[in-house]
Amino acid sequence: MCYVVCREIDLNAVVIAPDPLHRFEIDRERCLYPGCTVCLMYCPAPGAIVEVPTGRSLVPPPPDVWTEERRQPRSAS
Amino acid sequence: MTRPHHPLVQEFLDAWVYPVGFSGPGVDFRLRMTERCLPVWNGATARALKSGEADQRTPGDEWKIQRALAGYAMEGPQMSIKQMATQLLSVPLSMQEQYIDLQRMRARQLWDEMKHGQLNADVLLRGGWVKDENELMENVKANAQDNLAYFGQTSMFMHTHPLARAAQNYFVEAIAFLGIAAALQVIDDPLIRHEMRSQQLEELMHFMEGKYQLDAYALTAEDQKPIEDAFDFLLKPWATKMSVAFGGRAPEAGA
Repeated sequence: MCYVVCREIDLNAVVIAPDPLHRFEIDRERCLYPGCTVCLMYCPAPGAIVEVPTGRSLVPPPPDVWTEERRQPRSAS
Repeated sequence: MTRPHHPLVQEFLDAWVYPVGFSGPGVDFRLRMTERCLPVWNGATARALKSGEADQRTPGDEWKIQRALAGYAMEGPQMSIKQMATQLLSVPLSMQEQYIDLQRMRARQLWDEMKHGQLNADVLLRGGWVKDENELMENVKANAQDNLAYFGQTSMFMHTHPLARAAQNYFVEAIAFLGIAAALQVIDDPLIRHEMRSQQLEELMHFMEGKYQLDAYALTAEDQKPIEDAFDFLLKPWATKMSVAFGGRAPEAGA
Protein backbone atom coordinates (compact mmCIF):
# COMPACT_ATOMS: atom_id res chain seq x y z
CA MET A 1 0.00 0.00 0.00
CA CYS A 2 2.87 2.41 0.75
CA TYR A 3 4.08 1.94 -2.81
CA VAL A 4 0.65 2.67 -4.28
CA VAL A 5 0.08 5.69 -2.04
CA CYS A 6 3.48 7.25 -2.67
CA ARG A 7 3.06 6.89 -6.42
CA GLU A 8 -0.42 8.41 -6.21
CA ILE A 9 0.98 11.60 -4.70
CA ASP A 10 3.82 11.56 -7.22
CA LEU A 11 6.72 11.31 -4.77
CA ASN A 12 7.80 7.81 -5.78
CA ALA A 13 9.92 7.45 -2.66
CA VAL A 14 9.00 3.79 -2.14
CA VAL A 15 11.18 1.58 -4.29
CA ILE A 16 11.71 -2.11 -4.81
CA ALA A 17 15.07 -3.15 -3.42
CA PRO A 18 17.42 -4.65 -5.99
CA ASP A 19 17.96 -7.84 -4.04
CA PRO A 20 16.52 -11.31 -4.61
CA LEU A 21 13.67 -10.78 -2.09
CA HIS A 22 12.58 -7.56 -3.82
CA ARG A 23 11.35 -5.99 -0.60
CA PHE A 24 9.92 -2.51 -0.58
CA GLU A 25 12.28 0.15 0.73
CA ILE A 26 12.04 3.88 1.28
CA ASP A 27 14.40 6.12 -0.65
CA ARG A 28 15.44 8.57 2.04
CA GLU A 29 16.52 11.13 -0.53
CA ARG A 30 13.02 11.34 -1.95
CA CYS A 31 10.90 10.75 1.15
CA LEU A 32 9.65 13.96 2.75
CA TYR A 33 9.02 12.54 6.24
CA PRO A 34 8.12 14.06 8.65
CA GLY A 35 6.51 16.63 6.34
CA CYS A 36 4.65 13.91 4.46
CA THR A 37 3.27 10.86 6.29
CA VAL A 38 0.55 9.74 3.90
CA CYS A 39 1.88 6.21 3.31
CA LEU A 40 1.76 5.44 7.03
CA MET A 41 -2.01 5.82 7.12
CA TYR A 42 -2.62 2.97 4.67
CA CYS A 43 0.11 0.50 5.69
CA PRO A 44 -1.42 -2.66 7.20
CA ALA A 45 1.86 -4.16 8.48
CA PRO A 46 2.60 -3.20 12.09
CA GLY A 47 6.22 -2.25 12.53
CA ALA A 48 6.99 -2.27 8.81
CA ILE A 49 8.03 1.39 8.70
CA VAL A 50 10.38 2.70 11.38
CA GLU A 51 11.62 6.20 12.22
CA VAL A 52 15.36 5.92 11.76
CA PRO A 53 16.65 8.38 14.40
CA THR A 54 14.47 7.01 17.21
CA GLY A 55 13.77 3.46 16.08
CA ARG A 56 10.06 3.85 16.90
CA SER A 57 7.50 2.05 14.79
CA LEU A 58 5.31 4.30 12.64
CA VAL A 59 2.72 1.60 11.84
CA PRO A 60 0.10 1.94 13.15
CA PRO A 61 0.78 5.67 12.99
CA PRO A 62 1.22 7.46 16.32
CA PRO A 63 -1.14 10.46 16.69
CA ASP A 64 1.64 13.02 16.34
CA VAL A 65 2.38 11.94 12.74
CA TRP A 66 -1.10 12.43 11.31
CA THR A 67 -1.82 16.00 12.24
CA GLU A 68 -3.95 18.07 9.90
CA GLU A 69 -1.14 19.96 8.18
CA ARG A 70 0.45 16.72 7.03
CA ARG A 71 -2.59 15.59 5.06
CA GLN A 72 -2.55 15.70 1.27
CA PRO A 73 -5.52 17.73 0.04
CA ARG A 74 -7.72 15.89 -2.46
CA SER A 75 -10.45 17.48 -4.48
CA ALA A 76 -12.64 16.44 -7.35
CA SER A 77 -10.85 18.64 -9.85
CA MET B 1 -25.98 8.91 25.19
CA THR B 2 -23.55 7.14 22.87
CA ARG B 3 -22.56 3.64 23.92
CA PRO B 4 -18.82 3.01 24.17
CA HIS B 5 -17.32 0.85 21.48
CA HIS B 6 -16.21 -2.68 22.16
CA PRO B 7 -12.55 -2.42 23.31
CA LEU B 8 -11.33 -4.35 20.26
CA VAL B 9 -13.29 -2.03 17.98
CA GLN B 10 -11.94 1.06 19.75
CA GLU B 11 -8.41 -0.27 19.32
CA PHE B 12 -9.12 -0.88 15.64
CA LEU B 13 -10.53 2.62 15.19
CA ASP B 14 -7.59 4.34 16.86
CA ALA B 15 -4.94 2.33 15.06
CA TRP B 16 -6.36 1.81 11.58
CA VAL B 17 -9.56 3.76 10.88
CA TYR B 18 -9.07 7.30 12.13
CA PRO B 19 -5.51 8.00 10.95
CA VAL B 20 -5.90 9.81 7.61
CA GLY B 21 -3.40 10.71 4.95
CA PHE B 22 -5.61 12.91 2.85
CA SER B 23 -8.13 15.66 3.43
CA GLY B 24 -11.14 16.34 1.25
CA PRO B 25 -14.45 14.85 0.21
CA GLY B 26 -13.24 11.25 0.09
CA VAL B 27 -12.19 11.27 3.75
CA ASP B 28 -15.40 13.05 4.79
CA PHE B 29 -17.42 10.43 2.94
CA ARG B 30 -15.49 7.55 4.54
CA LEU B 31 -15.92 8.90 8.05
CA ARG B 32 -19.65 9.28 7.43
CA MET B 33 -19.82 5.66 6.23
CA THR B 34 -17.76 4.59 9.27
CA GLU B 35 -20.52 5.83 11.58
CA ARG B 36 -22.95 3.57 9.73
CA CYS B 37 -20.61 0.57 10.01
CA LEU B 38 -19.88 0.93 13.72
CA PRO B 39 -23.02 -0.72 15.17
CA VAL B 40 -22.37 -3.83 13.07
CA TRP B 41 -18.64 -3.86 13.79
CA ASN B 42 -19.38 -3.68 17.53
CA GLY B 43 -22.05 -6.38 17.44
CA ALA B 44 -20.03 -8.74 15.27
CA THR B 45 -16.97 -8.39 17.50
CA ALA B 46 -18.95 -9.11 20.65
CA ARG B 47 -20.53 -12.16 19.02
CA ALA B 48 -17.18 -13.44 17.74
CA LEU B 49 -15.75 -13.16 21.22
CA LYS B 50 -18.65 -15.13 22.68
CA SER B 51 -18.37 -17.80 19.99
CA GLY B 52 -14.64 -18.02 20.54
CA GLU B 53 -15.13 -18.44 24.28
CA ALA B 54 -17.77 -21.11 23.67
CA ASP B 55 -15.49 -22.94 21.22
CA GLN B 56 -12.60 -22.75 23.66
CA ARG B 57 -14.76 -24.48 26.29
CA THR B 58 -16.00 -27.16 23.87
CA PRO B 59 -14.22 -30.50 24.14
CA GLY B 60 -13.28 -32.38 20.99
CA ASP B 61 -12.39 -31.29 17.50
CA GLU B 62 -15.74 -30.75 15.84
CA TRP B 63 -15.72 -26.95 16.26
CA LYS B 64 -12.26 -26.75 14.69
CA ILE B 65 -13.43 -28.80 11.73
CA GLN B 66 -16.51 -26.60 11.30
CA ARG B 67 -14.42 -23.41 11.39
CA ALA B 68 -11.97 -24.78 8.84
CA LEU B 69 -14.70 -26.07 6.51
CA ALA B 70 -16.47 -22.71 6.63
CA GLY B 71 -13.20 -20.90 5.98
CA TYR B 72 -12.45 -23.19 3.06
CA ALA B 73 -15.93 -22.63 1.65
CA MET B 74 -15.55 -18.88 1.96
CA GLU B 75 -12.03 -18.60 0.63
CA GLY B 76 -11.31 -21.84 -1.12
CA PRO B 77 -11.06 -22.52 -4.83
CA GLN B 78 -14.80 -22.68 -5.47
CA MET B 79 -15.49 -19.15 -4.25
CA SER B 80 -12.25 -17.29 -3.87
CA ILE B 81 -10.41 -17.96 -7.05
CA LYS B 82 -13.36 -17.88 -9.39
CA GLN B 83 -15.45 -15.14 -7.90
CA MET B 84 -12.73 -12.87 -6.64
CA ALA B 85 -11.21 -13.03 -10.10
CA THR B 86 -14.36 -11.49 -11.55
CA GLN B 87 -13.61 -8.36 -9.53
CA LEU B 88 -10.66 -7.71 -11.78
CA LEU B 89 -13.14 -7.10 -14.56
CA SER B 90 -14.57 -4.09 -12.78
CA VAL B 91 -12.05 -1.78 -14.41
CA PRO B 92 -12.81 -1.45 -18.12
CA LEU B 93 -10.00 -0.71 -20.50
CA SER B 94 -11.17 2.87 -20.92
CA MET B 95 -10.65 3.46 -17.17
CA GLN B 96 -7.48 1.44 -16.76
CA GLU B 97 -5.20 4.45 -16.64
CA GLN B 98 -7.31 6.04 -13.91
CA TYR B 99 -7.67 2.88 -11.82
CA ILE B 100 -4.55 0.90 -12.60
CA ASP B 101 -3.64 0.55 -8.93
CA LEU B 102 -7.17 -0.55 -8.14
CA GLN B 103 -6.54 -3.51 -10.43
CA ARG B 104 -3.25 -4.26 -8.72
CA MET B 105 -4.83 -4.15 -5.26
CA ARG B 106 -7.51 -6.58 -6.35
CA ALA B 107 -5.00 -8.92 -7.96
CA ARG B 108 -3.06 -8.91 -4.70
CA GLN B 109 -6.25 -9.66 -2.76
CA LEU B 110 -6.99 -12.59 -5.03
CA TRP B 111 -3.68 -14.15 -3.96
CA ASP B 112 -4.49 -13.54 -0.27
CA GLU B 113 -7.93 -15.13 -0.53
CA MET B 114 -6.50 -18.20 -2.22
CA LYS B 115 -3.91 -18.47 0.55
CA HIS B 116 -6.63 -18.29 3.22
CA GLY B 117 -8.39 -21.22 1.59
CA GLN B 118 -5.12 -23.14 1.69
CA LEU B 119 -4.64 -22.30 5.38
CA ASN B 120 -8.05 -23.79 6.17
CA ALA B 121 -7.20 -26.89 4.14
CA ASP B 122 -3.94 -27.03 6.09
CA VAL B 123 -5.86 -27.10 9.38
CA LEU B 124 -7.96 -30.03 8.16
CA LEU B 125 -4.92 -31.91 6.88
CA ARG B 126 -2.71 -31.26 9.92
CA GLY B 127 -5.57 -32.23 12.20
CA GLY B 128 -5.91 -35.51 10.34
CA TRP B 129 -9.57 -34.80 9.55
CA VAL B 130 -9.10 -35.22 5.81
CA LYS B 131 -6.54 -37.36 4.04
CA ASP B 132 -6.10 -35.01 1.13
CA GLU B 133 -7.70 -31.88 -0.28
CA ASN B 134 -9.63 -33.87 -2.87
CA GLU B 135 -11.93 -35.09 -0.08
CA LEU B 136 -13.15 -31.54 0.35
CA MET B 137 -14.57 -31.51 -3.17
CA GLU B 138 -17.23 -33.97 -2.01
CA ASN B 139 -18.17 -31.95 1.07
CA VAL B 140 -20.92 -29.38 0.59
CA LYS B 141 -19.81 -27.49 3.71
CA ALA B 142 -16.43 -26.91 2.10
CA ASN B 143 -17.96 -25.41 -1.01
CA ALA B 144 -21.20 -23.63 -0.07
CA GLN B 145 -21.31 -20.03 1.05
CA ASP B 146 -24.56 -18.19 1.72
CA ASN B 147 -23.32 -14.80 2.88
CA LEU B 148 -24.80 -12.21 0.54
CA ALA B 149 -22.15 -9.69 1.57
CA TYR B 150 -19.36 -12.02 0.57
CA PHE B 151 -17.31 -10.79 -2.37
CA GLY B 152 -18.53 -13.63 -4.52
CA GLN B 153 -22.21 -12.88 -4.29
CA THR B 154 -21.49 -9.20 -4.47
CA SER B 155 -19.71 -9.48 -7.77
CA MET B 156 -22.66 -7.61 -9.24
CA PHE B 157 -21.03 -4.49 -7.82
CA MET B 158 -18.55 -4.55 -10.65
CA HIS B 159 -21.34 -3.71 -13.03
CA THR B 160 -22.24 -0.50 -11.21
CA HIS B 161 -18.89 1.25 -10.82
CA PRO B 162 -15.21 0.28 -10.38
CA LEU B 163 -15.23 1.83 -6.92
CA ALA B 164 -18.44 0.24 -5.62
CA ARG B 165 -16.61 -2.69 -4.18
CA ALA B 166 -14.60 -0.41 -1.88
CA ALA B 167 -17.63 -0.61 0.41
CA GLN B 168 -17.18 -4.38 0.71
CA ASN B 169 -13.47 -3.99 1.37
CA TYR B 170 -14.09 -1.40 4.04
CA PHE B 171 -17.11 -2.82 5.83
CA VAL B 172 -16.81 -6.59 5.50
CA GLU B 173 -13.04 -7.00 5.68
CA ALA B 174 -13.08 -5.02 8.93
CA ILE B 175 -15.50 -7.60 10.31
CA ALA B 176 -13.10 -10.36 9.28
CA PHE B 177 -10.19 -8.59 10.98
CA LEU B 178 -12.19 -7.97 14.15
CA GLY B 179 -13.54 -11.53 14.22
CA ILE B 180 -10.01 -12.90 14.05
CA ALA B 181 -8.83 -10.44 16.72
CA ALA B 182 -11.62 -11.69 18.98
CA ALA B 183 -10.82 -15.34 18.29
CA LEU B 184 -7.11 -14.87 18.92
CA GLN B 185 -7.93 -13.27 22.23
CA VAL B 186 -9.73 -16.32 23.58
CA ILE B 187 -8.75 -19.40 21.55
CA ASP B 188 -5.45 -21.08 22.29
CA ASP B 189 -5.73 -24.06 19.96
CA PRO B 190 -2.51 -24.02 17.90
CA LEU B 191 -4.15 -25.12 14.64
CA ILE B 192 -6.83 -22.44 14.73
CA ARG B 193 -4.27 -19.81 15.66
CA HIS B 194 -2.03 -21.07 12.86
CA GLU B 195 -4.83 -20.53 10.37
CA MET B 196 -5.50 -16.98 11.56
CA ARG B 197 -2.09 -15.43 12.07
CA SER B 198 -1.10 -14.12 8.66
CA GLN B 199 -4.75 -13.97 7.66
CA GLN B 200 -5.48 -11.28 10.22
CA LEU B 201 -2.95 -8.90 8.68
CA GLU B 202 -4.12 -9.78 5.19
CA GLU B 203 -7.70 -8.93 6.15
CA LEU B 204 -6.34 -5.64 7.43
CA MET B 205 -4.67 -5.15 4.05
CA HIS B 206 -8.04 -5.65 2.36
CA PHE B 207 -9.64 -3.14 4.71
CA MET B 208 -6.85 -0.67 3.91
CA GLU B 209 -7.57 -1.06 0.20
CA GLY B 210 -11.11 0.08 0.87
CA LYS B 211 -9.99 2.90 3.16
CA TYR B 212 -7.50 4.16 0.61
CA GLN B 213 -9.92 3.94 -2.29
CA LEU B 214 -12.53 5.92 -0.38
CA ASP B 215 -10.06 8.59 0.79
CA ALA B 216 -8.17 9.01 -2.46
CA TYR B 217 -10.65 8.17 -5.22
CA ALA B 218 -14.22 8.75 -3.99
CA LEU B 219 -14.14 12.49 -4.48
CA THR B 220 -17.33 13.34 -6.32
CA ALA B 221 -21.01 12.73 -5.63
CA GLU B 222 -21.06 10.72 -8.84
CA ASP B 223 -18.30 8.39 -7.58
CA GLN B 224 -19.68 8.21 -4.04
CA LYS B 225 -23.21 7.26 -5.07
CA PRO B 226 -22.48 3.67 -6.24
CA ILE B 227 -20.27 3.11 -3.19
CA GLU B 228 -22.98 4.31 -0.85
CA ASP B 229 -25.45 2.09 -2.70
CA ALA B 230 -23.14 -0.82 -1.96
CA PHE B 231 -22.96 0.19 1.70
CA ASP B 232 -26.77 0.40 1.73
CA PHE B 233 -26.93 -3.18 0.52
CA LEU B 234 -24.23 -4.54 2.83
CA LEU B 235 -25.80 -2.87 5.85
CA LYS B 236 -29.17 -4.52 5.34
CA PRO B 237 -29.69 -6.81 8.33
CA TRP B 238 -30.09 -9.84 6.07
CA ALA B 239 -27.09 -9.14 3.83
CA THR B 240 -24.05 -9.53 6.06
CA LYS B 241 -23.38 -12.68 8.08
CA MET B 242 -20.25 -13.42 9.98
CA SER B 243 -18.82 -16.72 8.78
CA VAL B 244 -18.42 -19.62 11.19
CA ALA B 245 -14.73 -19.33 10.28
CA PHE B 246 -14.59 -16.01 12.12
CA GLY B 247 -16.89 -16.93 14.99
CA GLY B 248 -20.32 -16.61 13.36
CA ARG B 249 -23.13 -18.97 14.21
CA ALA B 250 -23.44 -22.26 12.41
CA PRO B 251 -26.75 -22.66 10.49
CA GLU B 252 -29.46 -24.47 12.43
CA ALA B 253 -29.84 -28.11 11.49
CA GLY B 254 -32.44 -28.44 8.76
CA ALA B 255 -32.49 -24.68 8.14
